[in-house]
Amino acid sequence: MGRYVLKRVGIGLLQAIGITVVVFFVIRALPADPVARLVGFNSSPEVYAQAQASLGLDASVWSQFTTYVSGLVRGDLGVSWVTGSSILGELRSALPITLQLITLAFALALLVSVPVGIATAKRPGGKLDKTVFGYGLFAGAQPEFWWGLLFIFFFYYTLGIAPAPLGQYAPGVTPPPEITGMSLVDSLITGNIAAFTDAAWHLWLPVMTLAFIVSGPIIKMTRQSMSRVLGSEFILYQQASGIPANKVARSTIRASLPPVLTLAGILFGFLLGGAVLIEQVFAFNGLGSYSVRAVLNLDYPAIQGTVLIITIVSLGVYLVLDLLLAVIDPRVKN
Amino acid sequence: MNERILATKGLTVTYPTVQGSFTAVNGVNLELNSGEIVGLIGESGSGKTSLALGLLALARYPGRVSGSIDFMGQELLTLPEEKLREIRGRSIGLITQKPRQSLNPFQNVGTQIGRVYRAHVDASKAQAQDHAIELLENVGINDPQRRIKAYPHELSGGMAQRALISMALSAQPQLLVADEPTSGLDVTIQAQFLDRMWQRAEETGTAVLLVTQDLGIVANYCDRVLVLENGKLVEDAPTREFFANPTDAYSKKVLSLAGERAQAETASQEAGSQTPLIRLEGLRKTFKLDDGKVLSAVSDVSLTVMQGRSLGLVGESGSGKTTVGRLILRLLEADEGDIWFRDTDLTAMSTREFREFRSKIQVVFQDPFDSLNPRWSVEKAISEPLDLHTKMSKAEKAQRVSELLDQVGLSADVRGSRPSGLSAGQQQRVCLARALSTEPDFLVLDEPTSALPPVARVEMIALLKDLRERLGLSFIFISHDLSTVRELCQDVAVMYLSQIVEMGPTSKVFAHPEHPYTRALLDSVLFHDPLDRRVDREHLGALEGEIPSPIDLPKGCYLAGRCPFAEDRCREEPQLLQITEPDHLVRCWKSVEGILSGASVVG
Amino acid sequence: MTIPQSPPVKGEHPLENLADKKIKARRWYHDKLLVTGAIIVGIALFLAAFGEAIAPYDPTVPVGPPSVPPSTTYWFGTDTSGLDVFSRVISAPRIDVTLAVSAAVLSGILGTFIGLMAGFYRGVFSGFIMRVSDVLQAFPVFILAMVLVALSGRNLTNLIFALTFLYTPIFIRLTRAEVLTQRERAYVEAARAAGNSDLKIAIKHVLPNSLTPSLIQLSVTVGFGILLTAGLSFVGAGVRPPNPEWGLMIANSAPQLVLGEWWTSLFPGIAVSLTVVGFAALSNAIERRVATS
Repeated sequence: MGRYVLKRVGIGLLQAIGITVVVFFVIRALPADPVARLVGFNSSPEVYAQAQASLGLDASVWSQFTTYVSGLVRGDLGVSWVTGSSILGELRSALPITLQLITLAFALALLVSVPVGIATAKRPGGKLDKTVFGYGLFAGAQPEFWWGLLFIFFFYYTLGIAPAPLGQYAPGVTPPPEITGMSLVDSLITGNIAAFTDAAWHLWLPVMTLAFIVSGPIIKMTRQSMSRVLGSEFILYQQASGIPANKVARSTIRASLPPVLTLAGILFGFLLGGAVLIEQVFAFNGLGSYSVRAVLNLDYPAIQGTVLIITIVSLGVYLVLDLLLAVIDPRVKN
Repeated sequence: MNERILATKGLTVTYPTVQGSFTAVNGVNLELNSGEIVGLIGESGSGKTSLALGLLALARYPGRVSGSIDFMGQELLTLPEEKLREIRGRSIGLITQKPRQSLNPFQNVGTQIGRVYRAHVDASKAQAQDHAIELLENVGINDPQRRIKAYPHELSGGMAQRALISMALSAQPQLLVADEPTSGLDVTIQAQFLDRMWQRAEETGTAVLLVTQDLGIVANYCDRVLVLENGKLVEDAPTREFFANPTDAYSKKVLSLAGERAQAETASQEAGSQTPLIRLEGLRKTFKLDDGKVLSAVSDVSLTVMQGRSLGLVGESGSGKTTVGRLILRLLEADEGDIWFRDTDLTAMSTREFREFRSKIQVVFQDPFDSLNPRWSVEKAISEPLDLHTKMSKAEKAQRVSELLDQVGLSADVRGSRPSGLSAGQQQRVCLARALSTEPDFLVLDEPTSALPPVARVEMIALLKDLRERLGLSFIFISHDLSTVRELCQDVAVMYLSQIVEMGPTSKVFAHPEHPYTRALLDSVLFHDPLDRRVDREHLGALEGEIPSPIDLPKGCYLAGRCPFAEDRCREEPQLLQITEPDHLVRCWKSVEGILSGASVVG
Repeated sequence: MTIPQSPPVKGEHPLENLADKKIKARRWYHDKLLVTGAIIVGIALFLAAFGEAIAPYDPTVPVGPPSVPPSTTYWFGTDTSGLDVFSRVISAPRIDVTLAVSAAVLSGILGTFIGLMAGFYRGVFSGFIMRVSDVLQAFPVFILAMVLVALSGRNLTNLIFALTFLYTPIFIRLTRAEVLTQRERAYVEAARAAGNSDLKIAIKHVLPNSLTPSLIQLSVTVGFGILLTAGLSFVGAGVRPPNPEWGLMIANSAPQLVLGEWWTSLFPGIAVSLTVVGFAALSNAIERRVATS
């Protein structure tokens, strides 16, 4: 097991390094001019040169890279070209917002999809199965920003049972001090019940929208995996050997789990960078909104920082997942 | 003794699909009595497995069983779940076709055996564990304390099968349902298992339903035969009567073909010349495994095939026989040794030279469907070697394809078919036609009959025999099926664990096998004759245990661990292939010195 | 959002064969999924070619008063600038569909070819390709897409290149995985024994038999491409206004939606949603049919 963990961590590290290098050079290979964006396209050559020097873009790409890497080694992601503040600090407040959003969406999706998937597997071709098939087709790939807007129109404008999509808190509510950066956790820790309820009030719609999009594939995978196990030799054999039904059911669920978990891990990692549009729609200042600003402003250090953070977190998730799978399935280690 | 154990009425198994339901077993009425072994035969897809499981009131998800099953006075289909559960695994035991897949991959073997035990016996976990250890010990698994911690994927198929069999039998069931229990096993091990099962039924009065495709098994072990066709029972007769006078059309066909074969002579000795065509000298091939270990697939194999003659290369799985074929074709490169084709050393040719030379040596593989490009028509497949090696015009090629189709007994209207539209037998004929297209001097036939259903197999053998005589083919026939080799080949070489252990003219080797392994192998052959059953004979030279792994080969004789005649010298001294008669070679010092006890059992 | 494809579960249920036989027996036009998919895809492709020509109004200039609700004059209403929503919705495939189809086809060809080589010739090259595509797949897709488009200039060619770059690894993986299974099959060995060279085996035998996963993926990828284009335009990193493009239309009308102006975002949204479902259905139907033949 120890060797397996080490190997997985090693591969993850290599991937993170690979991504860091690729991002750094790809950004600089593309024909954008961040200096002109900053000082205006009509600025004098002197002003331009000065700005270029202050961003460190006058040095060769290679020396820019060594400077960047030596910063990384010290845990320094650099300073934003636009705001002038530390990238690490900015990401520290953006990341928890996204993490909270997608974790909740995920919990909701799993809570609904896994039982539904199991139910459809038990009655293949049934009414639920047919409905869910359509939904799986529908929700695997959808314009979530549009669904978000649609839900806002419906739940906020028409029914009035959701808040205006203007961020994590209502304008009048004083947010709790930033401890973890997650609105629900921070308000709970500080005992600010008003902030807590308001945060939850502002979260339910975006969480539901994301869960709505993500559930389709999870249901599909649960059903597929479950029916494969139900039709497997070993479940048949357990039944034929007179193993009690509840134990057979437990074996079935355990054996159906690995593909579902794998998919869940992939989806989670994917949502880290994929919640961009939902954050935009609901005006959450998470990683997604941060990355949009970084890209549109050609803020290279911020882009690099965002990609790095997302990569590290998702690789961490994959690692935990792989270890979990290795615990469930003894064949994985080989 | 003939107490009725189980009777079904209108037993039906259906599987719902999105488009409606599919009936796999259709209103079967059957009876099983104590102490009786009943064979269930039928083509694949006829519903044999569904019927076998149906007797336990069980269907594979999402199937359903209906009708009536009377098991010792209880109606299984209306029995409460809990009662039914008690019967399954205790009063009715099941042995499946796929032993390893039948075990939960996520649980260690000990836990699983223990669970089944605890499902029927009021025992503690520790007691169940002891039971598991004892059970593994009984089936001859070494170090059972450690092995119960093993996961199914760490067991060999044979080991898993023995464990499952032992589990099924240890409960002393009144009925044992065995679904092709030996289909993945080698013949010597198959014999061990079936002998034990037969004994068991004799002693305890267990009723056995034995699903099989092998008429040899039916003739040798079964008291009664059921034939299933498209989910319906079409024949139910005592074994002798069935073989003597089958009523159903399918049964008739299978049996008449089998009958022809039983009368077939050993391949004639006169045919062919004494000019060597292919000569292997000291071939050796090892594979490096991922964990750094080295597997010896072929060690020191030398043999000669004469012009116009055929050599059978016989052995069980893992013997290296297939690797030898691959080496001759240079689909694998030998580590050491030479392959002479007349006066040319094939191993010395460059890849490019050899590519052109390939028209002279062709091959037919075991799995016909897999060896045809699924997107290519029959015509395209057969003419590919012509495209590569000849400058024939389109019309000439079409003409040649027609000739070839005719030669292998296929009608011209299959020309445009895709492999998926053909039966396995037809597919294999296409493969044969492709191999013959460039008029090769030599053929490697790698188990060309093993993957075929019984009827197609018999027809294929007849075709090969016919072609050998008409075209004067020279070939090496790789097989684990001794009776086919006897019919087709003038010479035979027996391989065991990467070595040739005995070689000589077929008539001689089959009549007077010298090596203990050859003897055991011949002794395990199940002939299709219910009047001359294996269970009525005595077996002196039966082998113990399983074939050892080719990774850690023993120091002395490779068979020593399983051989009933082995002594210390066998375990110490590496054995050499020695001449006992001018054309008969044996790798056993005892046999060479003429002190091997026990008469050969096959006359 | 385009959610990554779930890895297929190995070892299909034995009974699916039974069900499959029945599906095979049915005519293609009895397959609802296939028909639905084909109709939607057909309309999308038709509009990509002729949408602008058959539109009642010029989609890029104001043709009436702003914010008119759907009426007989303006079927889908007008937006805040007085542009006709219906004309814009049916003109948009010109950009969305063309772009997605081009990117899908390009990445399909490129990825299939690289995947074939990487699968057939194992070794350093194959290892390198796989590591590179591993790294690419670990990237946050949407962010990478924004970076590629925003930094290389927001025009159609760059969008196509960016999408192609993003989707090629999918085809590499799929094809390589299939090639790895195919090359172990006996027909490959038979082809070698017949005297084919490695390259001939790869092109003549293995490639045609390894195309299926890519073909199935192709249709899904078009859907992905449409979503990504719309998403990028939505955050302002894609197509420039006033081009008719679904994502852009939704983005522009988002502020109006909370004020009750639903028509400006509803119709382009339905268009995206349906088109994507259409391509997914087609791919799903093809997959089911292929599995049965």
